[in-house]
Amino acid sequence: MRTRNLLAAIGKTVAVAAMLFWSLFPIAFIVMSSLKPGQDIFAVPPRYVFEPTFEHYVSLWQQWGAFFDGLLNSTIITAGATVIAIAGSTFAGYVYSRNSSRMLDASVLFLIVVRLIPPIVVTLPLFPIVNVLGLNDTHAIMMVLYATFFVSLGTVLMRTFIDQIPRELDEAAEIDGAGRLTVLRRVIVPLAAPGILAVAVFVVVFAWNEYLFAFIFTSTRAKTAPLVISEMIGSIDGVDWGILFAASTVQLAPVLLFVVFMNRYLVAGLTAGATKG
Amino acid sequence: MRSRSIIGIAPLLAPVHVLILSVIVLPSLYVVWLSLNESSFGQAPTFVGLQNYIDVITDPAFRSALWNTVLLVVVAVHIELALGLGMALLFAGGLPFRRFLLVAVLAPYAVSEVIAVVMWRFLFDPDVGPVTLMLQSMGLPILDWSFEPSHAMILIALLTIWLHLPFTFIILYAARLAIPSDLYEAARIDGATAWQAFKRVTLPLLGPAIVVALLFRYIFAFRLFSEVWLLTQGGPARSTEVVAVYLYQEAFSYNAFGTAAATAWIMVLASLLLGAGYVFILRRQVSANANA
Repeated sequence: MRTRNLLAAIGKTVAVAAMLFWSLFPIAFIVMSSLKPGQDIFAVPPRYVFEPTFEHYVSLWQQWGAFFDGLLNSTIITAGATVIAIAGSTFAGYVYSRNSSRMLDASVLFLIVVRLIPPIVVTLPLFPIVNVLGLNDTHAIMMVLYATFFVSLGTVLMRTFIDQIPRELDEAAEIDGAGRLTVLRRVIVPLAAPGILAVAVFVVVFAWNEYLFAFIFTSTRAKTAPLVISEMIGSIDGVDWGILFAASTVQLAPVLLFVVFMNRYLVAGLTAGATKG
Repeated sequence: MRSRSIIGIAPLLAPVHVLILSVIVLPSLYVVWLSLNESSFGQAPTFVGLQNYIDVITDPAFRSALWNTVLLVVVAVHIELALGLGMALLFAGGLPFRRFLLVAVLAPYAVSEVIAVVMWRFLFDPDVGPVTLMLQSMGLPILDWSFEPSHAMILIALLTIWLHLPFTFIILYAARLAIPSDLYEAARIDGATAWQAFKRVTLPLLGPAIVVALLFRYIFAFRLFSEVWLLTQGGPARSTEVVAVYLYQEAFSYNAFGTAAATAWIMVLASLLLGAGYVFILRRQVSANANA
């Protein structure tokens, strides 16, 4: 019995170690390599002890101004998309939670079905339309695209979260003479904050990291950071891995920290999103 | 109350529905029309019926792209499921530093496809990649992914699994936590072994969550684009193309909007088909909950 317990404990430890290594090693490796002196990046065997240096970050700053413009564009677009998605999802989620009719139920099903359409499908007709409207390569179109691909999930999530707020609270406020918007602002939004944060995690991660839409719809003015990094991978005069690791670390750090701090809401959102539609 | 409500709720519903209609639904319907015509830049479309669909389906490049996609989806998603299930059970069995481990396992969720490609490209770099060097030192074959299509597919599958394992894991872990512990208590009192408890309690009760996780991942893996595009661009010689890359090439490299649109609708139909299964299960669950 004792040996069995010991074996189980060893098995568990190995499994946990493997899980940690699998999840964190690629990330740690990039961050670490971004701080390695030039020749150490390619050392055989890989060096895990070295004198950290910021030389690649300095080169990144000197040679890739476009990357920092990309970061700024990504920040603006992510912020805009998040605001649009949260506002839209909260309004609609509130309506779906507090009202029910055949029409409304059908339109929730419609929201779920919309999520099944692959984003690349709409690039085909949108590309010429966006060009004609002169919205190509603007922050606005990227915000709208990113927000739209999350408002359906966002609405369903918000409905789930608002369903947990007792109706008596809005009714009490309504008796006190509050209108729909006041109820929304004073009762629903504060109490549905976890839902709002869950929606925010989804949209922020998506908008900050997205590649396909950025690749098709932006070229210079609204080019996002992931797109600039993809250009570094494909640059003609060979990949400068040091600069690439530095840029990757800068792009990754904020969103990784965000997910770490918001992990509760991410978990809540993922589970509610998959089981409630 | 009733008459007032329509007017009251319409402005609140409008933003979401206007966005979805104008960005997703109407463009998708326009794609149907495009798929029935032959068109390119600066050329008036001519109606060709289902010819584009026939062209796409009989195109060897499409068939190979479809085959690659199905292979990737089936292999990657099922490995994800097995790993995710194992991790969910490991977590449910009680772990020290559970919160820390949970966050660590979620970390890849934050990583962009572009950064993931940077990571895995370097890890498996045929000359200096740490994983390549490790495989070599153990006398194992390395992944020569820039020349060997099947090796490139393995790397793409690894990358996909790495990026999406957090999702599969969370769905299964949440479902596992929802199983009441007295069921395990009862199984233990009845003398069930750990394996029997897994087979008779865990697996049946996780069933719906497993199906949901699978369908979700099938649908999303079927759209796979960035990983492939950034790693191989579908090459060498279109051998690692997936359906979304095929679509992109038709539309934006060859300006063949008709066949690109037909490909797009084939993708939509495949997703809807998988989605129908999901909605069916969801409905059954909702009615089961209502009856309980």
